[in-house]
Amino acid sequence: MRSLRVPFLLVMVLFAAAPLYGLLKISLSPPGEVMTAHPTLVPHGITWRHWQRVIESGQIGAPLRKSLLVASGTTALALLLAGPAAYSLVQLPLRWRYGVLIGLFLCRMLPEVSVAMPIAVVFLRWGLMDTALGLTLAHLPMALPVAAWVLTTAFGNIPRDVEEAAALDGCNLWRTLAYVIIPLALPGVIVAALLVWLLSWEEFVLATYLTLGDKTMPLQVYYYLYQGNAFVTAVAAVIMTVPVLLLSALLQRFIRETSLAGVVR
Amino acid sequence: MRWLLVVLGILAVLPTWAAAEEPALTVTMRLAEAEWEVMRRDILPTFEILCACKVRAIDVPPEALVQRLRAMQQAGRMDIDLFAQDNMRLQELVDAGLVSPLTAQESEMSDSVYPALRVAGVIDKQRYFVPFRPNVQIAYYNADKFTEYDLQPPRTWPELLAVARAFAERDGIGRVLFKGAGGAPTTTQLYEWIVAGGGDPFDFADSGTVATFEFLASLRPYLSPESRRAKWDTTNDALAQDAAFLAQNWPFGVPLLVKDYGKTAIRTYSGWAGPARQAHVIGGDVLGIPVGARNRRLALAMIQFLQSHMVQEALTERLGWPSLRSDIGDSTSEAWMRPHAESVQEALSHGVFRANVGYWADYERLANEAVQRILWRAEAPATVLPPLAARLDALRKRE
Repeated sequence: MRSLRVPFLLVMVLFAAAPLYGLLKISLSPPGEVMTAHPTLVPHGITWRHWQRVIESGQIGAPLRKSLLVASGTTALALLLAGPAAYSLVQLPLRWRYGVLIGLFLCRMLPEVSVAMPIAVVFLRWGLMDTALGLTLAHLPMALPVAAWVLTTAFGNIPRDVEEAAALDGCNLWRTLAYVIIPLALPGVIVAALLVWLLSWEEFVLATYLTLGDKTMPLQVYYYLYQGNAFVTAVAAVIMTVPVLLLSALLQRFIRETSLAGVVR
Repeated sequence: MRWLLVVLGILAVLPTWAAAEEPALTVTMRLAEAEWEVMRRDILPTFEILCACKVRAIDVPPEALVQRLRAMQQAGRMDIDLFAQDNMRLQELVDAGLVSPLTAQESEMSDSVYPALRVAGVIDKQRYFVPFRPNVQIAYYNADKFTEYDLQPPRTWPELLAVARAFAERDGIGRVLFKGAGGAPTTTQLYEWIVAGGGDPFDFADSGTVATFEFLASLRPYLSPESRRAKWDTTNDALAQDAAFLAQNWPFGVPLLVKDYGKTAIRTYSGWAGPARQAHVIGGDVLGIPVGARNRRLALAMIQFLQSHMVQEALTERLGWPSLRSDIGDSTSEAWMRPHAESVQEALSHGVFRANVGYWADYERLANEAVQRILWRAEAPATVLPPLAARLDALRKRE
């Protein structure tokens, strides 16, 4: 079984990396190399022309900024709201805990298209149309159940003995949370943050309804797709992928299986 | 000190007040990057100077316009003053009560606007829209391949069949594309083929319509396999990747294929005629004013401006757009664009408007079903069409 591990991992890596490679290759290829009956897998020439065109158009900076703002804002708010909720849920019996969580997920069963119009109407009245704050608030109902689920699991994995030991050492609830629980639950918090950030980063339907002029990155990529130029679409898609890769690389060192090993005897 | 605070306070408020005093017009369109550049650099600033106002131009795709207008109407806050919309998507705006009549503008429209184009904005005997940017599908062909196989671009249906057969026999695979993936691309192409065949697109029992489907069935063995997934965007890919040597599409593919992709062997011409005539569905954008628009007066001025000789000439010259005015010739400034602009202008002279019917969505389903069954399941038109004709007849009668 162990001998299959490496080939399996290799296949998985290839599976994940192939679309990214395809995008990057198209974004850097001269048109003649891709727009032919037999495009090659390996690049034979490299051009920065498509990148130059996208960057010089000045149409990528604002969507990138808005998407970063919305995704980061949604993540911060979701963690801030779901964190205490998850910690409270952990105190409940298992049956109740998952009952509440499933209840939260039921909200997600409604298709976004069906709620997008009422949200757009209300946000228009409140002057939140076309704003990063409006989109952040609209993304929250989608992000909260995910964050609550992951954080409940993360907090639930921490043995109660740890909290009791902290109390015996004189920590009050807030100090226990700040110095014991949250550091121990950090991998879960990071996973929750990553998931929520990604959900918000790639969200399209709500963004379509709540945007008039200031596009987000998915809308900008769609704009290029609509124009039909495969090369500039690939460039925009690569630009959209970069923050995801950076964030994942940056945060994955916090995600450790063994963070709870040895905390209780 | 108090003095200074008062002065600073006034200075802080003044720009806001001044900005609030200057009227602002919000216009939505769906344009390509290069088109937006011309619009924002050359066209809109002139209007701002003429009308002493600010113009906020926003890119809104045609499929999203209805939902946005609907949300604004429900919120009681119409933030859009004027929109340019695909003329294939007008009925839904009228049905939803989102667009206000422009009857008074009928008399103000310049006499130079092609009479054929004026028809587009009239629905249920009421004018809701005015022409802005006419468009038609043209035929794209790979000149190198036609030369290599010693063929001429077809001008009639028999020639089209012969060319399709010649490519299929030599390459062992079809090279003529019909947009058969379904949806609007298929319906639009079918519509103009039926008109070219002398049929009534809304009557599948009509002899001309039946003849068109029979011609399509005879073409089936020689069509490019890419036809199954061909829409407006994938048609460009098929031409660029030499999967098809002949296809009809909108002119947006010209700069993409020739300029961006460097496919200089791709040429265009107006296309082929059926037994009755040559026919091209007139697409493109028309202008409309939403119900509840806050700056209707400015929006009307903008309509006049966009239809003016000066603006239409600039758009033709800088972007190669076909003009809605008869007093503007082919003034495309870029030499490589000229033959393509001529193809469009020629096709436009054979333009037909697609009728706006309330049952269009159902009609599209029926038309797509007919194409799917005849082309991809190889069913005989004589079997497929009669039941579909009865369903279509029922739709017509219901309306």
